[in-house]
Amino acid sequence: MTASDTGVIAPAAARVPRFGDLCRSEWTKIRTVRSSAWSLSAMALLSLGFTVFVSSALASSWSTWNAADKARFTADPVGVILEPGATFGQLAVGVLGVLLMASEYSTGMIRASMLATPRRTPILAAKAVVFAVVVFVSAVGVAVPAFLVGSALTSEQASTSLGDAGTVRAVLAFGVFMTLTGLIGLGIGAIVRHPAGGIGAMATLQYVAPLLLSLLPGSLAEHFVAALPATSGQVILSNGSDVNGIYPPLACLGILMAWTAVLLAAGFVSVKRRDVP
Amino acid sequence: MTSTATPPVPAIRALGLTKRYGATTAVDDLSFSVLPGKVTGFLGPNGAGKSTTMRLVLGLERPDAGTASVRGRPYAELETPLREVGAMLETRSFHPGRSGRGHLRCLAQSQALPAHRVQEVIDLVGLRDAADRRAGGYSLGMAQRLGIAAALLGDPQVVVLDEPVNGLDPEGVRWIRGLLKGLAAEGRAVLVSSHLMNEMAVTADHLLILGRGRLLADCSTADFVRRYTDPQLYADTPAVARPALLEEAFMRLTADSVEYATKGTS
Repeated sequence: MTASDTGVIAPAAARVPRFGDLCRSEWTKIRTVRSSAWSLSAMALLSLGFTVFVSSALASSWSTWNAADKARFTADPVGVILEPGATFGQLAVGVLGVLLMASEYSTGMIRASMLATPRRTPILAAKAVVFAVVVFVSAVGVAVPAFLVGSALTSEQASTSLGDAGTVRAVLAFGVFMTLTGLIGLGIGAIVRHPAGGIGAMATLQYVAPLLLSLLPGSLAEHFVAALPATSGQVILSNGSDVNGIYPPLACLGILMAWTAVLLAAGFVSVKRRDVP
Repeated sequence: MTSTATPPVPAIRALGLTKRYGATTAVDDLSFSVLPGKVTGFLGPNGAGKSTTMRLVLGLERPDAGTASVRGRPYAELETPLREVGAMLETRSFHPGRSGRGHLRCLAQSQALPAHRVQEVIDLVGLRDAADRRAGGYSLGMAQRLGIAAALLGDPQVVVLDEPVNGLDPEGVRWIRGLLKGLAAEGRAVLVSSHLMNEMAVTADHLLILGRGRLLADCSTADFVRRYTDPQLYADTPAVARPALLEEAFMRLTADSVEYATKGTS
């Protein structure tokens, strides 16, 4: 390898970096690692796969359903069609959120990032903005075909159309659920800082906590379970017709946003206050 | 500030810098200045606090006491940090899945630096052939070059490098030596740590010697050798060979400060 001895060249236009510059930088970061494409592809595959599986199982076993279950489906077919995709898609999105922040710490990239942005918190803010846009667009891009496939498979049981206001609302809710789940992962990644530990914490919150809390006796346990992010996320997909639901969809949106806000805020504190490895 | 006698603002200034980890004091009431136009060598035994001091100056850790400033301001308050200070701390400060070029592009974008700077620093450090490969596959020497490219990206007036010759082949070592001297000749401040005495002897104009977190010496390299070498040995050594005495001088000075010194030898 050869290199000129010094010859450092002055950059042309000098300008103070703005938040938009940081967002461009974070967009480049997301684009240039393989885990992003893998995770988003996994979300698409899991969501579409489970939608096909559950919708076709529903259609083939429909004759054995009792009247109450049939009534629940016909009252909110769009919510039921999208639910399995969200249940499994959230895993991939949560993992990607954790990885985006935790891998900065585990690889040492955080040193370069913080030398470039010593105020620190704008790094997480820009990452959150870019990641939220990426996840929302991807999730809506997955929810539309998932709905179309599920709708076609269940066409004998319920008539649904992409143009219905209820469908549009549910598809957007799917995007919001995945986006807020991703941001929860990002917050956990900023707090835990280790990819494996962060993914473990995320999976615990999403899948283990509902199981453990549901083992508790009494109605308080039901309220705890209903207030978990994964549970409340499922409810915002529905149109509120389920009379057994503990909290209505709008309250669940508030609950999910509160989880996101608290975990991201803790992430900001962790990024700002703690020494860099 | 109308007085013409005002001394230049130091590129880096530490005042009473102190950092403790539990019962260990890694950096102990450290005060020093790094001036522009010189290569300042940061020398000390392992565990003397060189890296910690650099991390405190660059805001990656918070001091328990004291302050550090870069060109008169705390690092965290710099509006265009990479244009003012370029630093390489640990060699692998990048995501291994990203290419060298991708890594530099992220950093350039975050600083609103023009895109052509990325190619310029890639050429400058001789990383052209490897720039589009995943950085995780780089050899130690290539990773060092990527770190130096990142440090020079913003064409900074202050350059801070922690052990930059680690892992470089003889040609690379020679290249670094020329680069550092060239940067200083252009009026930039260069702070470089190393445990390689002979390398420092031929590269550094000024030395900051650390032992157990405290500043043991702060003087020009020539003064240091004269002051701390055995007077007879110094007198017997031809002037041209005196830089080679740096190791001897350093060992005499830091004999008490080496953490795991062997008892009975001096």
